[in-house]
Amino acid sequence: MKKISKVLIANRGVPAVRVMNTCRDKKIKTVAIYSTPDRLAYHVFLADEAVHIGEAPPHDSYLNMEKIIKVALEKKCDAIHPGWGFLAENADFAELVEQAGLVWVGPPPEVIRLMGDKIRAKKIAQRANVPTIPGLLNVKTVEDILKWMQEDEVDFPIMIKAASGGGGKGMVRVYTAEELPVALEKAKSEAKKAFGDDTLLVEKYIRSGRHIEVQICADKYGHVVHLYERECTLQRRNQKILEEAPSPSISDDLRQEICFTAVRLMREIGYHSVGTVEFLLDPKTNKFYFLEVNTRLQVEHGVTELITGLDLVSLMFSIAEGHPLPFEQDDILPNRHAIEVRINAEDPKTFNPSFGTITRLEIPQGPGIRVASGVYEGAEVPSYYDSLIMLVMSAGADRSEAIRVMDRALSRGLRVEGIKTIAPLLLSIIRHPDFIEGKFSTRFIEEHHEELLSMVKEKTADDEVLKIAKYVAEISALGPQDWM
Amino acid sequence: MDYIFVKPGMSPKEIVQKVRELPGVCFVSVGMRDAGQSDYKNRLRIYDLKTLAPYYNEMGLFASECHGGARWHVGIMNRRESPFEEIAILRELMPNVLLQTLIRETNMWGYRPYPKNIIEYVVEVVDIDVWRCFSFLNDVRNMRPVAEVVMKRGRLFEPAISYTVAPWFDTKYYLKVVDEIVDLCGGVDEIVLCIKDMAGVGTVSSVTELIDSIKQKYPDLVINYHRHITDGLAIPVLLAAAKAGAKIIDVEEDTLVRFYGHSPILAVEAIFREEGIPVHLNRKAAEQAVEKVREWIRDYDWAESPFKGFDHMVTRHKMPGGAFPSSFEQAEKGGFLHLMPYILQVMSLYNQIVKYFDVTPGSQITWVTCSGIVNRYAKEQGEEGVKHVIKLLKKFVEEKNQDFSAMEPWEQEELLQLFKNAPGDFKNLILGHYGRMPVGWPADWVYQSTFGDEWGNKIKERKESSPVEAIPDEDLTALRKKLEYELGRKATEEEFILYLMHPKDALDFIKFREKYGDAPLYLPTKVWREGLKKPGDKVEFIYEGKPYCIELVSIGVENDGIIHVVLKVNNKTRVFEVKTPRAKKEEVKKAVRPNEIGAPISGTVWRIGNPKRGTLKVGDIVHKGEEIANLESMKMENPVLAPFDAQIVEICVRLNQMVEEGQLLFVLKPLENNANIENTGESNIEKLPH
Repeated sequence: MKKISKVLIANRGVPAVRVMNTCRDKKIKTVAIYSTPDRLAYHVFLADEAVHIGEAPPHDSYLNMEKIIKVALEKKCDAIHPGWGFLAENADFAELVEQAGLVWVGPPPEVIRLMGDKIRAKKIAQRANVPTIPGLLNVKTVEDILKWMQEDEVDFPIMIKAASGGGGKGMVRVYTAEELPVALEKAKSEAKKAFGDDTLLVEKYIRSGRHIEVQICADKYGHVVHLYERECTLQRRNQKILEEAPSPSISDDLRQEICFTAVRLMREIGYHSVGTVEFLLDPKTNKFYFLEVNTRLQVEHGVTELITGLDLVSLMFSIAEGHPLPFEQDDILPNRHAIEVRINAEDPKTFNPSFGTITRLEIPQGPGIRVASGVYEGAEVPSYYDSLIMLVMSAGADRSEAIRVMDRALSRGLRVEGIKTIAPLLLSIIRHPDFIEGKFSTRFIEEHHEELLSMVKEKTADDEVLKIAKYVAEISALGPQDWM
Repeated sequence: MDYIFVKPGMSPKEIVQKVRELPGVCFVSVGMRDAGQSDYKNRLRIYDLKTLAPYYNEMGLFASECHGGARWHVGIMNRRESPFEEIAILRELMPNVLLQTLIRETNMWGYRPYPKNIIEYVVEVVDIDVWRCFSFLNDVRNMRPVAEVVMKRGRLFEPAISYTVAPWFDTKYYLKVVDEIVDLCGGVDEIVLCIKDMAGVGTVSSVTELIDSIKQKYPDLVINYHRHITDGLAIPVLLAAAKAGAKIIDVEEDTLVRFYGHSPILAVEAIFREEGIPVHLNRKAAEQAVEKVREWIRDYDWAESPFKGFDHMVTRHKMPGGAFPSSFEQAEKGGFLHLMPYILQVMSLYNQIVKYFDVTPGSQITWVTCSGIVNRYAKEQGEEGVKHVIKLLKKFVEEKNQDFSAMEPWEQEELLQLFKNAPGDFKNLILGHYGRMPVGWPADWVYQSTFGDEWGNKIKERKESSPVEAIPDEDLTALRKKLEYELGRKATEEEFILYLMHPKDALDFIKFREKYGDAPLYLPTKVWREGLKKPGDKVEFIYEGKPYCIELVSIGVENDGIIHVVLKVNNKTRVFEVKTPRAKKEEVKKAVRPNEIGAPISGTVWRIGNPKRGTLKVGDIVHKGEEIANLESMKMENPVLAPFDAQIVEICVRLNQMVEEGQLLFVLKPLENNANIENTGESNIEKLPH
């Protein structure tokens, strides 16, 4: 057992802030790292200490493994927490951390490596009797795909995926044979760029599928407990933007089945720390298929925390220190419904990233709301990193109460100016009758985009008066205008 | 005593009956519309005008003219107020008062003839009680669509005859126009007839004779006399009109009266009383309104016309009161204010050659044509040249009585050049696109001068029909789609109507209001125009019942085209970054035409071409569906595909350049088999005849 009293957080923004908050609770000292454009970022000042790690490009800063480990050693840290994204699922980095004598706050490197290879992960799942989507592993050419489709009687659409992928990168949906060459190229190139590996696989695309994932928590002594599932069906460009727990789309029987399947798989691969098994549910047949294992803390872990009352980051540290799980499966009794939305700095119409200074920021407050923010009023959102600036979560006794709380948080509480965010779109989603009824698929946003955008924006007197103030500022500075 | 005798909601018949029953006369106050148009370029804001509403509500007016004319357009363009907001505010503050608009038959509140379906659609929606409608050609046929919808809605239609004094517009002529109006409106019981003396040129005898003749023929017809004061003789003529039988007289607050508007309400009441004509007016409320104006009128000094003073020569040049300040404004902006006296002289000669009424859009046609002629001579031959052309026109009109053949050959030659640069609207006018001209088409030499060798054909094209019949209906659904495309959202009914009237300015207006909210409605005029001056200055107002205070903390020094302004908004300090006109303008060229390929998203151009072919260069042939570039954004790749078989004409970006969405990447030339792509013209409201 190795006590962690100082940790380097190899991340920025929302994940870094999230981890630091728990460290503060656990009296673990924190060291932040930052790139040049992040020198005034929120996470830098929340940490106990901070170290400049390099220039803007991720490879020079947040992906610079040697430098990060060197800094951790210099600052006398005991451990490194990777947050999510960047190096969180990089097995080489995890190994280097351990070789340097530091604690890796995450699952074993070999498990990361195994699960990071989608093709091997799929094979293991098949061996463990976990259902998988019909597909072809290790695709090289268009001809491979067409041959497989013919032999296995698979119709378009199909999905091309990067073998070492995640986060929607290197994932391309294909509807016709004509699109195939360009799509294959795109997936290959994206995969190469994002993961340094252009091995691809192809799968049947399940229409109207729903993403259900099971949160797992396991210690180093073989205890594997699930913390129930999350529904992550709402996505845009294969990236989740709204998650909730429990899933509104499965029965209790199916819930038990999925959760225990996940536990079985994770036990099989010797997992420890927290992690997630993702499934795709075909609502027509009520069959679920294994998608992948996320060997890290996930963005949406907060909804699980809200329904179970646990702190997953705290558990990660305890497990990493070598403590056994402090609970059994029967102790986990979720009793609430929780929703999370991702506030991305993006144009809600086009999903194009929106960079710049946040000129006004009001953070939602009040009963049932939890916020994890990576920014502050006046902060810059740099163009180099991902667009997530804040997570807003709501909880209630049941789903409709959680939706009501989220509505208050987004319509009356949250205000972000200076950059665009997808908050107006998120508000439209949670007000959409189909969402309220729980009728949606991964294509909900594409299918309803137009309609979601046209929903009326809520105005408040404060917002309106700030527009008037803007006018007063301009005329005070510039004097009478020609157009008057 | 309750002075309210007509109210919104009454039927036209009831209103007309109430006016007939009055022992004397009643007033229309034009204080909220024409007063501001005539002397203040329509800049008087609803923020100030609404302070008069509580008095109007008790004054016993026939109506308040508060809408229409150029107030609509200037509202969205300069005051950034919507006419719909104004109606809503006034309805709430003066529920007793009939709200009156001024509408230009087929041109409505815009500057082009609209098709019937647009006229009907718009008139159906605007919540106005009294519809004063005029035609600058007195072509009563043009009024039909407005008349029909207004009367069907149960609102009061007030047809106006455009009035001026000229030998060819005699009483017989006007009586014929009245006949046509009475005919159009099915009698005299549900209308009020307006005599619109927009230049203010009627004399005691001419107006007495006209009203007297109308009353002899139509004793029950209620007549409203509208007369500007530019000649300095308005009050005696108003008195004459009342004595001859006009029941309604247009007036404005004494404190608003300058030189081009209307007579002072209190003075008119006083002289009528002295002359034994009962006036239905709560004089005390009228006095309070007159006083109220003093509280804000000095904030509009900047909007006043630069030439102050009466001008009896208006009886010759006939520029209407409503057009004076805007003409001066244009002359000042165009740097030819010193030529104004010459332009007015040319107008007085021109209006004898091309005969119609100088009121919108006629007054604009006259102005642009005449100022154009004077400017052309001034530019080519200096002031002497201007004097020369005036001498020539004087000879032609006054000495030779417009006998073209009586002019010397070189003078004929010069006259044949007179209209060669005339504006398109002048051409449309003499081709009949606005309707029939009141006393016949101009002489042939005018056509020859305007159209050159084409003139014979042009005369053949000339239309005798009304534009109401000639203009095809427009596709309202398509127009609405176009607006919504521009806005990127659904448009409200009101926004759509603003757009139908003035497409470009309405878009600017909507965007302004999206950015600055209700600033035009809540800021006092001084702050609206000049902002806050020194630290500690503040502006306070109530918004949705909540008190707000905006206080100036500091205005920074300009640096790189940016000024930082610090304000306290309800005690919370906020910094505003204000871009000055010197701010660097980064012009990004956007793809607009079908053969221009724009960036599908914002990102980095990391590849031009595709892996199979490598880099592309100008002159290369690309095929439909072929990847021609690839953009990266947030680690996602986004191929740009050729939309058709084409040759690359221009590559507008460099490798690894950051581009924004829609930025021009490639210019392509379609290969022959699909060359028609370049010519996909779409119909556009601004391209239609004005």
